[in-house]
Amino acid sequence: MEYFNAVGIGQLNNISMRKEIFKTFAKRGWTSLLVLFLLMTFLFLLLRISPGDPSLKYISPKLSPRLTELVKKSFSLEGSMPAQYKTFILNLAKGDFGISYTYRIPVIRVIERALPFTIMFSLLSFFIQIVSGFLLSMFAVKKINGTADKIISKTSLPVYAVPSFAAGVFLIYIFSEKLNIFPSSGLTSFDTESYSFIQKLIDYAQHLVLPVITLSFNGVAVFYKYLHDNLEDVYNKPFVENLRANGFTEKEILRKHIIPNAVNPLISVAGVELGLLFGGALITEVIFSLPGMGRLTVDAILSRDYPLVIGCTFVAGILVILTNLCADIIKAMLDKRIAKGILN
Amino acid sequence: MKINRLILSLPLIIILVFLSGCQKGSSEKSGRIIAAITSDVESLNPLFAFSDNEGNISELLYASLVQHEWNYKKGDMDTFPMLAKSWEWNGDSSSITLYLRDDVKWSDGQQFTANDVVFSFDVYSDPIVQSKLYGSFRNFFTDTAMHIDLKKTFVAKSSFVLTINFKKNPSPTFYDIDFPIIPEHVYKNINRKDLITAEKEIKPVTDGAFSLSQWNKNQSLILKADKKSFLYKGGNVSELVFKIVPDYNSGITQLKKGEIDLMEDIKADDYPVISNDGSLGIAAVKGREYDYAGWNNLDPDIYKKTKHVVPNKLFGNADVRKALTLAINRDEILKQFLNNHGEVAFGPVSSIFKDAFNYELHPLPYLPDSAKKLLALAGWKDTDRNGTLKKNGQEFSFTLSIPGGNPRREFTATVIQNNLQALGIKIKIEKLEPDVFFQKMFNRELEAWVAGWTVPIPLDLKSFWYSNLTDAQFNVAGYQNKAMDELLKKIEVSPNSNVKNNLYKKLQEIIYSENPVTFLFWDDKLIAYNKRIQNLSVSPLGVFQRCWNWSTK
Repeated sequence: MEYFNAVGIGQLNNISMRKEIFKTFAKRGWTSLLVLFLLMTFLFLLLRISPGDPSLKYISPKLSPRLTELVKKSFSLEGSMPAQYKTFILNLAKGDFGISYTYRIPVIRVIERALPFTIMFSLLSFFIQIVSGFLLSMFAVKKINGTADKIISKTSLPVYAVPSFAAGVFLIYIFSEKLNIFPSSGLTSFDTESYSFIQKLIDYAQHLVLPVITLSFNGVAVFYKYLHDNLEDVYNKPFVENLRANGFTEKEILRKHIIPNAVNPLISVAGVELGLLFGGALITEVIFSLPGMGRLTVDAILSRDYPLVIGCTFVAGILVILTNLCADIIKAMLDKRIAKGILN
Repeated sequence: MKINRLILSLPLIIILVFLSGCQKGSSEKSGRIIAAITSDVESLNPLFAFSDNEGNISELLYASLVQHEWNYKKGDMDTFPMLAKSWEWNGDSSSITLYLRDDVKWSDGQQFTANDVVFSFDVYSDPIVQSKLYGSFRNFFTDTAMHIDLKKTFVAKSSFVLTINFKKNPSPTFYDIDFPIIPEHVYKNINRKDLITAEKEIKPVTDGAFSLSQWNKNQSLILKADKKSFLYKGGNVSELVFKIVPDYNSGITQLKKGEIDLMEDIKADDYPVISNDGSLGIAAVKGREYDYAGWNNLDPDIYKKTKHVVPNKLFGNADVRKALTLAINRDEILKQFLNNHGEVAFGPVSSIFKDAFNYELHPLPYLPDSAKKLLALAGWKDTDRNGTLKKNGQEFSFTLSIPGGNPRREFTATVIQNNLQALGIKIKIEKLEPDVFFQKMFNRELEAWVAGWTVPIPLDLKSFWYSNLTDAQFNVAGYQNKAMDELLKKIEVSPNSNVKNNLYKKLQEIIYSENPVTFLFWDDKLIAYNKRIQNLSVSPLGVFQRCWNWSTK
């Protein structure tokens, strides 16, 4: 009887815990929406008050003053600021960002072109950053203060300090101009129409080698530094000595106890890093002529393409929120104490 | 441990795979020419081809009634047949009869006819469409909204013979009918109000020397020579690729590697490196763009508030403006920044316009002492000997605005600041974000600035120097001169090119004596190209003008 009661209480606890988890995520969803709403409102105000005229680039000596006026009028929103804001929010709720001034097609269609590349490029770079950072730190931490540890730790700081424009130009100079191994820019060659799928894939990969290295350069150093310091910190904890005293092998200690304890702070950093990457990697995209969100956003800002600026910011905002949410979920899955912390 | 090693060696394996698949060498291919452009075009629709690149590409895709080529000997343009194989002007030039080619087909197989021509004039001039040419059909019969009156204007005697009637008095030219003709059967299916946003709905059905092969947004735009086109000659360029290369240095690297064949806007600093490269050539387009120091001839505050034209207290006096011109060492800027790739300017007409250029005028030399004397005559003196000129208690000090991120403007502004400060004029340099700078400049809110203009071909200077500031949007200095207005009106209606050229010479004389702005220099637009390109001719009309005649080694 007591057994059945215990089972019943356990089920009840599970149900209430699920409810709590659901509530927590619902709350998290609402706060995310609020953050997004505030971001859009702030952006709307900022764009309205910022100086600059989107119609200026269409003015040329060949245009009549009358056409210039018409072009200007077509770019300005009618009505008072509150009325403009109301229309803006209502359109946003419907997913309508308007027509891009520059591309003269709906903003969503412009973003559709750049977003898949940015997601693929970011994930690839992110994967390389995480894996390389992890492998390097594992390699270094095996013998703390050993030669490898010293060399890797000392080089990580200069690597982190090298700006991506310098790294990109350097890589182009060595691998493209001097050694002629990789193409210096673009995403594909011009003759890919006749290529087989595998040839297309190799061509695509060749074009991405230098940009991915450029984009990942700093990130590898960041992840390495974080993980290395955390691993070192956990290694020095008393429970590790206890485990050793109890006869656990170094491999077991590392895999089952040190890595899970050291990896949590890294996941938070990874969430932020991935969010930033999704926002676009402007410098890398410019140097290597890549069609990503970074170039699109900055071009939109410089040409005062307000609907496109708003669309790009909205997408970047959503991706940052989602990546951070994913990071929190992964953390909670790895460490139940965090799930409880979230629930409490 | 084995798994760890495998993981560690995985990147190496991947790199080796990539390397094994790498194809060394340039992307050179017979018949293909790759040109770098800094940003992607926004539209292939000739109605809205606002930028230079859009204009160039739409003219390669869509043929015009006539075509123009720069004639270096006479310093003007020659007109050649294109869609119109011949023409006849009537006695008083009030109408032209065009005999159209009957062997032109659109890329979808439809026959090109006079209906396409009439339809194009109709759409380009329609106020609902807001095309790039709207408002420019001044020599045609139009309604009050500048929409061409089709009944009065066009008489189609057959599908290939079309007469165009012009308004009485004005002087129509071939430029009035030189624009890309659009296919009626494609464009008529789209609501005219929606044309501006219907980029995706409009298929590029073309009849020009090239057809669209591929457009990878923000990557490349590939045009293929249309072998059925009447402009096609066997052995000429078969593929023209516009590759988007936003980074200048990356462009230079690709040029040297042979990944691209042509690049515009080469910096003067790179001239020696490129000219020393055996595989590369360098050409210059002269006399199209000039830099100037703008002096606001109006009081900007009063103009902003009331739109009244009141002379500026500093720059309203022509003698003061002349003194400023004398005080600026333009040779120094030209020599030090542009490595002498250009020439000192004294007016808005360059020497490439051979018949319109006034050879009797020469740039004012750098004479700071004469400038000081002129300023003293105008009442600007350093009365209290504190190093700054004053008049009626007011110091000669102003803000010189420049657009940020432009090293040439920054260098020029610094030279101007140093030169004028030596005379006792206080200058504060203000760097503005480019969009803010141009907005303020067009609103005539700046005191003084450094900027540049491209001179239109054919010469049309009314929008730059006419006193009515509503009609002259480029008269940002607010220059006022009735004699100039009379000249500009006469030029506008004059049918005779000799008369026009003489009027332009007089216009230069007025500008030379009045110095509404200080003309700094005409800068050469440098173009680097791979020597495998044959028949390349770089004219003031642009490098891609008639590029279907190019070929490769």
